[in-house]
Amino acid sequence: MMEEKLKEKIRAVKKGDQQAYEYVVELFQNKVFGICFRMIGNRHEAEDLAQEAFIRAYINIHSFDEKRKFSTWLYRIATNLTIDRLRKKKPDFYLDAEINDSEGHNLYGQLAADQPSTEDFVEGIEIQNYIQKEIMALPVKYRSIIALRFIDELSIKEISEILELPVGTVKTRIHRGREALRKRLRHV
Amino acid sequence: MKCDNKFIDLIHEYLDGDISKEDEKYLSSHLEKCEACQIHFRELKQTVALITTNVDMKPSENFTLNVMDNLPMERKGKKITR
Repeated sequence: MMEEKLKEKIRAVKKGDQQAYEYVVELFQNKVFGICFRMIGNRHEAEDLAQEAFIRAYINIHSFDEKRKFSTWLYRIATNLTIDRLRKKKPDFYLDAEINDSEGHNLYGQLAADQPSTEDFVEGIEIQNYIQKEIMALPVKYRSIIALRFIDELSIKEISEILELPVGTVKTRIHRGREALRKRLRHV
Repeated sequence: MKCDNKFIDLIHEYLDGDISKEDEKYLSSHLEKCEACQIHFRELKQTVALITTNVDMKPSENFTLNVMDNLPMERKGKKITR
């Protein structure tokens, strides 16, 4: 089973077998990248952050408790790194802002995903860019939860462990984030 | 006329797989009668579908290689096996 093989590989890494880490990176690269991307909105930075997350996890592998779920631990590293990066880019009021029930496009609107790539004409990519742009309009505390909930379809409990937030807070933010996106995406 | 917010809350609970059997029945019988809540429900489901499909959510092909190349050196001594 995958879970068993992962445990085995992590044990090997802990014993100093660096090569065994390749399996771990392969297994989680899409999820970690996806979570960072949803939060930061830019492929280049997301890739950079995801790489750093894996390197940090490797360096700190001895502090990972094998009784716990590895993905929870890894995603916590990735989300913390991304939040730190965003904090350097934007003042705190932005990070902790609440979603306004009136359509507050102006405040966050300028932080659009700096995407437009050459293949934008492909409809799927265009829609994806549009969706990402709308996600970027949400305050970070909602974005991180949306990333975790809808990239890896994690349970509310797991999200609460990753972000170290009470279950009730996670629920409220999922609901509010989903409502805010509903308003923005209902015409797609 | 807008419905009681409690139905919207129930819709979210439903979408999170976090709803009790009774509440689910209560919600579905309400949805049968209330068009506004039906629309709201449909829009939320569509939103979830849109943000869950990740067409392009992959890092570059050499991602793993780059990570492996950037790991700190294996500590000396650990490599020595007897």
